Amino acid sequence: MQELTFKVQRYLPGKDKRPYIQEFTIPLRQGMTVLEGLIHIKENMDNTLSFRSSCRMGICGSCGMLINNFPMLACHTPVEELGTDRIEVRSLPNFPVIRDLVADLGPLFEKHKSIKPYIISLDVEEAEVLTAEFLQSGQELEGYVQFAYCVKCGLCMAACPTVATDALFLGPQTLGQAYRYCTDRRDAGVEERFHQADSRHGVWLCHLAGACSEACPKGVDPALAIQLLKRAMVADSLWLRRKKKPAPVAQPPTESKQKIAVPEFTVK
Amino acid sequence: MSETRLKILQYITGIGLFLFVGTHLVISHLSSGEPTTWESIAERASSSFWLAFYILLLIFGLYHGLHGLRTIITESIPTLPAKVVDWTLGTAGIAIFGYAAYIPISAF
Repeated sequence: MQELTFKVQRYLPGKDKRPYIQEFTIPLRQGMTVLEGLIHIKENMDNTLSFRSSCRMGICGSCGMLINNFPMLACHTPVEELGTDRIEVRSLPNFPVIRDLVADLGPLFEKHKSIKPYIISLDVEEAEVLTAEFLQSGQELEGYVQFAYCVKCGLCMAACPTVATDALFLGPQTLGQAYRYCTDRRDAGVEERFHQADSRHGVWLCHLAGACSEACPKGVDPALAIQLLKRAMVADSLWLRRKKKPAPVAQPPTESKQKIAVPEFTVK
Repeated sequence: MSETRLKILQYITGIGLFLFVGTHLVISHLSSGEPTTWESIAERASSSFWLAFYILLLIFGLYHGLHGLRTIITESIPTLPAKVVDWTLGTAGIAIFGYAAYIPISAF
């Protein structure tokens, strides 16, 4: 049976001075992912190994790790794709380590919160007590939907060379999400977000290395979002930005279709 | 001033520098005749057009260089207080401008 060597970062704060690497040899299964390898180690070899995971299908963004020196989702990375039988797994760089492979994503969430990642409605009453939907065309949706796929896994922040040198830099995830909300016609918080992104550690620190877009497992392309945000902010500074028309509230339907009747039981 | 406006000025001065330095190169070193003789330099020094040209070149060059230096310092030492960097570079910029502008103005 073919075997795999997992070189896994171990670190227990308070006990270990610095992270170190521990090797495990496990049997290779067809279609095995890196996360499955780690689960095998935890279940059969060392139950003290700590890592974060949840959905196992690239949706929740919990299992972001540095796999063979590239930030990836462990559940989304088949070991065969790595083209080697030696796999080195470390916790995400640019984040503090809580234990073993568990990175502290707190800084990511703090930065994300700072740009108000939610719809700020002009119509406060309507936002508080929704009476109907806000209308939006398919074209308007196309303008930001790609950036709305972000799962907050932190891979882009781990890949970003600017975050590595300046921990205060807002980073690709935050700036990408700032652009996502600024382009949404239902939103009226553009000025607040531009103000936040215009800081010393904001959008202009991005040097367009593109590492964020390469690392993103959801195809969000944060580098593109940052470039579009820069363009919008330049237009705003030169008083050339076209103001968004607020999305209209849909009229309540005047007639509704009849509910489909519950089918008769076939087994009695 | 906002970071975006500072960055826009950086781009404008970058393009301006390209044009100004290009013109300076052509006039002083590449054009036919003897542009670097004492007479031709004295003639340019007494022209208000060339005085304005070199003062603008100085302003553009200083802004572009000092803003670039500010970016390098900010990125190298992110925790350095912004005011310290801005005031130090601003003061240095004004001092350099005063000294460098004195030369073409006194020759005018």
